[in-house]
Amino acid sequence: MVIPIALPILDESMGGGIPPGKSLLYCIQPGVEGDVFGMQTLYYGLENGYKAVYISTSSSPDYVRERFREFGWELESYEGQLDFVDAYSHFVGLDSNEKYVVDDPDDINNIDSVVIDATKNTSNSIIMCESLSSIMDMCGEIETIAKVNEWTRLSMLYDNTSIYNFTAWHYSDETIKKIRSEVFNSVIRVGGIGERVIFGQYFGVMKADWCEPSRKTFLFRIVRPGGVRVYIPKILVTGPFDAGKTTFVHALSTRAVSVDRFGTTVALDHGHIDHKGLSADIFGTPGQERFDPILKLLGGESMGVFLVVDSMRSNTFARAKDMLKLTKTFGLPCIVIANKQDVPGAAPPERIKIEMALPDDIPVVPVSSKEKTGVVEAFEMLVDNIMRGL
Amino acid sequence: MTDYELGIPDIDDALGGGIRGGTNILVLGPPMSGKDTIINNIIYHGLASKEAAIIVSTEESGEDMLEWFSNSGMSVDAYMNLFGIVDCVSATLGLDVKDTASIRRVSGPMNLTKISVNITNYFNEFWMKRGVRKARLCVNSLSTMLMYTNLQAIFRFLHVHTRRIKTANSIGFYIVEDGVHDAQTMETFKQLFDGIIKVEVEEGHQFMQIIGLTPQPTKWYEFAIDDDNKLNIKRRSDI
Repeated sequence: MVIPIALPILDESMGGGIPPGKSLLYCIQPGVEGDVFGMQTLYYGLENGYKAVYISTSSSPDYVRERFREFGWELESYEGQLDFVDAYSHFVGLDSNEKYVVDDPDDINNIDSVVIDATKNTSNSIIMCESLSSIMDMCGEIETIAKVNEWTRLSMLYDNTSIYNFTAWHYSDETIKKIRSEVFNSVIRVGGIGERVIFGQYFGVMKADWCEPSRKTFLFRIVRPGGVRVYIPKILVTGPFDAGKTTFVHALSTRAVSVDRFGTTVALDHGHIDHKGLSADIFGTPGQERFDPILKLLGGESMGVFLVVDSMRSNTFARAKDMLKLTKTFGLPCIVIANKQDVPGAAPPERIKIEMALPDDIPVVPVSSKEKTGVVEAFEMLVDNIMRGL
Repeated sequence: MTDYELGIPDIDDALGGGIRGGTNILVLGPPMSGKDTIINNIIYHGLASKEAAIIVSTEESGEDMLEWFSNSGMSVDAYMNLFGIVDCVSATLGLDVKDTASIRRVSGPMNLTKISVNITNYFNEFWMKRGVRKARLCVNSLSTMLMYTNLQAIFRFLHVHTRRIKTANSIGFYIVEDGVHDAQTMETFKQLFDGIIKVEVEEGHQFMQIIGLTPQPTKWYEFAIDDDNKLNIKRRSDI
C-alpha cells in the first residue's frame, strides 16, 4: 500500500503516494515553511491507521506536538501509533520520557544506533526526520550522509516509508548533489518567489524513481488550522450584466463579499474558496458597459477565468465574448458557465458552445448558481486546466 | 545616500547622516558594556520613524523584551503592527506559551530553520500587508547561538540573511560578545559584515566607535545610559 502524501496534486503526480520502503526528501529553501508537507503526510497516515516514528532533531517532542496542534492535528489521539526518537532534549539539558532517547545528540553514532533500533522495531510505518540539516550542522555533512544512506536502506528492508526535511543552506556542492540526486528515491523542492521579500511559495517534484512524475510547479500557502493548500492566486469571474456572476461567486466561495447597489454589482465581488487542498481568490467584475474601463485592471494577474452567461439570453453572448477581450484574459484557461440552467427553456451547453463559436479548449458547463449545482464541477475543471498549463 | 538614522545624533553626523540601506553591522563589545541597550535604542528609533523592526532574541523571552521597552520609557505599544520578535528562549525554559502576533517562538537558538522562517514571514508581512519598505533586523546574539551550534552552521544562516538584508535594502545588526570567541570565529564573522559598532569599557566609562562605514573609523564617543535606558553621547574622544 502506498502512503498518500495527503495533497491530491502531489499524490496524482507521484503515482498515488510513496510506496513502502521508499524515501522522500523535502529540499527546502531557507525561510520557507516547508516542513508542514511532511507533517501533513504523517498526520494523514496516523488517521489512516499507520504507525509512525518521528525523529526530533531540533525541537523537543512536546514542542513538536504543539506545532501539530497549530494545524488542528492532535497527536495525542494517536499516541499508541506514534513514537518519538528524541534527539534534542538531552542537548539542551531537558529530561525526556519518550520511547527512544538519544543521550548525546551531537554524536552521529549515538543518533545512528537509536534510529536503527527504532527502525528495526517497526515495519510498514512512516519514519519522519524533522531536520536532516540540523543533524548535518551538528555532526558533519559527510558523516550524516553516510548514516542516512544506511537508514534508507534499512527502511527498505522493513518496508518503512521515510520522509526527510532538509533546509538547503549553502552546503558544499558535493553534499547538495548527493542529497538531491543520490541518497533518496524522491525529492520535492519547496522554495520561495521574490527577491526583496519572499511573497509566494512553490513546490515541485524533482524526482521519484517509482514513476514518471510531472514536472509542474505549484504555488502553495500554509493555513492554520489546515496545513498545506495549493494556491491559485486569482480567478476572474466575468460576463454580461445580470448573467448571475455575483450569485456564482457566492455559490462557489467559502466566504465572499460584494459591493453592490440596488442588487447590481458596481465595484467587484470577492470570494475565497478552499476545496480539496486547493485554495483560490475569486474576483468578479461588474457587467455593465459603463464599467468597461476598469475591467482590464480587475483582470490583471488572473490565472483563469469563468465567463458567466445567462442561458436564457443568447443576445448577450457576443457581449460575453467581448468581455474576455476587455479583461485581457483571452487565452487564459477559461470555462463558460451556462448559468440559470434551473429555469425552464434554458439553452443547453452544446447549443451555447455553437452559438458562441467557442474553440475546443473552452468548455461550457451547465450550472445553476441559485441551486448551487455544477459550481464545484466547474471549479475543478478550471483548476485542472490551469494546472495543466503551469 | 543614507536611508537609516541610528537616532544617536553625534554618531549619525559622524556617518554623514546615517546608514545606507542594505548594510549589515556587527555589534562587538565585552559582556555588560551596553551593546543591547545601544541596539534597542536604534531599534526603537526605527519604530518611532514608522519603520519595521525584527529582533531575534536568544537571551530574553519576547515578553521580557517588550517589558524592557515599556520600563525604559520607550513603549512600543503604538508600533506593535511593525514589530516582530523571534523568541528563542521560552521553549528552552519549558514555558508553555503560545505565539502572539508579535512574538513567535522557536524551539531554541539552534533551530536555524525555524528562526529563518519566522524572519522571512515577518519581512513578508511588513512589506506585503503593511506596505512598509524599511526594516531593521537585530540578532541578539550570535554568541548565544554559537553555544548551541557550530560556526559553519551559523555562517550559512548569516550568509542567507545578510544577503536578504542587502536585496531588501534593510539594515541588520548582529551582536557578538568580544573576548569570548577565538580569532578564527571572529574573522569568519567579519567577512559577512559591512561595518562594526565597537563598544569598550574603560575605568567605568563606556565608549563606542563605528568602523567600516566611513573611509576612516569614526572617533571614539563616550556615552552614558540614563535611568530610562536612553543613550546619551557625553563627548567625543580625540584618540
